[in-house]
Amino acid sequence: MSTPAPPHYTSVPPWTREPVVESPDATGTAFTVLAVGTGSDATGAAAIVDAWLPTLPVGAPVQVHTSEDVAGAIAAMRTDLAGARVGHRVLVAGSATDCLAVRAAALGSSLMDSELTVGVTSVATRAVWCVHCSATTIAEAGLEDVVTCPSCRKDLVVYPHVSRRTGAHLGFQVDAETLPAGVTA
Amino acid sequence: MSAERIALVVTGLTALTPSIREVVLAPIDGGSLPSYAPGSHLVLDVPVGDGRERALANAYSLTGETVEPTEYRISVLRCDPADGAAGGSAWVHTLAVGDKVEALPPRNLFAPVRHATKHLLVGAGIGITPLLSHLRSHVRWDADVELLHVCREGEGAHVDEVVALTGGAATVVHDRATFAALLAERVRDQPLGTHLYTCGPTGFMDLVHLEAAAAGWPAERVHAEAFGAADLDPGAPFTVGVAGEEIEVPSGVSLLEALEEAGHEVPNLCRQGVCGECRVPVASGSTPVLHRDLYLTDEDKAANDCLMACVSRALPTDDRPAHLEVTL
Repeated sequence: MSTPAPPHYTSVPPWTREPVVESPDATGTAFTVLAVGTGSDATGAAAIVDAWLPTLPVGAPVQVHTSEDVAGAIAAMRTDLAGARVGHRVLVAGSATDCLAVRAAALGSSLMDSELTVGVTSVATRAVWCVHCSATTIAEAGLEDVVTCPSCRKDLVVYPHVSRRTGAHLGFQVDAETLPAGVTA
Repeated sequence: MSAERIALVVTGLTALTPSIREVVLAPIDGGSLPSYAPGSHLVLDVPVGDGRERALANAYSLTGETVEPTEYRISVLRCDPADGAAGGSAWVHTLAVGDKVEALPPRNLFAPVRHATKHLLVGAGIGITPLLSHLRSHVRWDADVELLHVCREGEGAHVDEVVALTGGAATVVHDRATFAALLAERVRDQPLGTHLYTCGPTGFMDLVHLEAAAAGWPAERVHAEAFGAADLDPGAPFTVGVAGEEIEVPSGVSLLEALEEAGHEVPNLCRQGVCGECRVPVASGSTPVLHRDLYLTDEDKAANDCLMACVSRALPTDDRPAHLEVTL
């Protein structure tokens, strides 16, 4: 795999390239803390959350949710945010793929980037959205690697662009530019 | 300056309070004027004369119809030149119906964030003016809005209009203590997704920023429309090198004025640290910049590679007098 450089002006957050653990924003007045994943991600997420909790302001309400799957974490977060006031913060620990999915849902619930803290346990997988058939697949791949779309079988390049709305990378047929005349991607 | 000026004629004047005057301006040749986003301001040309040594460019928030308007409306508080004001607002208070004026087209540094789930408008005194155009827009688009306003008794320009527009979601108070308590309470009870917009004197907006930060608001949710940098001290003298020439900048004279007097043209507009037009690159060989503008970001300021010539100055170091090398 190759990592494009310099990376900072793309929509790909740095914490999907390296497993970065951010420090919580102690200016928050209420906190939702999510630990997501199975196996080593679950162990890593639990350790990150254990390190985060003592740094949160004393007396502020804190809800901790532990989920094996990201859908469960998102559902718990949405319940917390439904009646939340400005001042609320969300902290999520898990794989970069799960953190991106939680970020997408959080932004959809009116949270801002500065109100979200991530603690990444692994950066091995990426969600890739196929521009040809609209299927999203999660694969062990780095940026600019090629993965096969399990739905339409096209070979997709993992383009260094992440959707803020879905958390998935843009994937398109790797040889779309060099196909013979008359063959459509 | 690149933007084309608009020729306008005064078609209406109303005293809203003893010191605030509403001015209605229409295009000289009829028709409609450029549309603008809520929170925009008009930059009026104030000519030399009547104690004004230099022409001024004064920014006034537009309060009227935003879409293909046939007139622009501004409300201007008279600041007395006897108290040190530059004289632009006093000139506006001398205008008569039929007078011709020129202005730059509307500009905006204070637009509403359209994806906000709610808008909390917080104003003081004449700071109601940009909030009024926000409010009209939110009413038109049925957006959730709440307004907090503080003004002196009898100096409440546009207050009746604002209260009517919000249908009860406005709270207007007349003393600072009541306002501070109200603000502290309301910033702690806004739904996630709310954005806050404030306009008023610098000290007032500082209070709003502090209260919002104390209640956990990130800076990205808080938007301010500044009138101008707070009253600045005249500053210490320094020297500036430009194209091999060295120019003295005495205390009480801005870098912009010194450059102009030496025959250099520097694009400029507000001359009070707000608009960003007079940004000048700073080259190596300079001592640190004393940034006093409201335009550059903290990162821009830390880079020490540019400054706003209208308000900012040079600082000395332990072993070197204050000096800037600039490129124009």
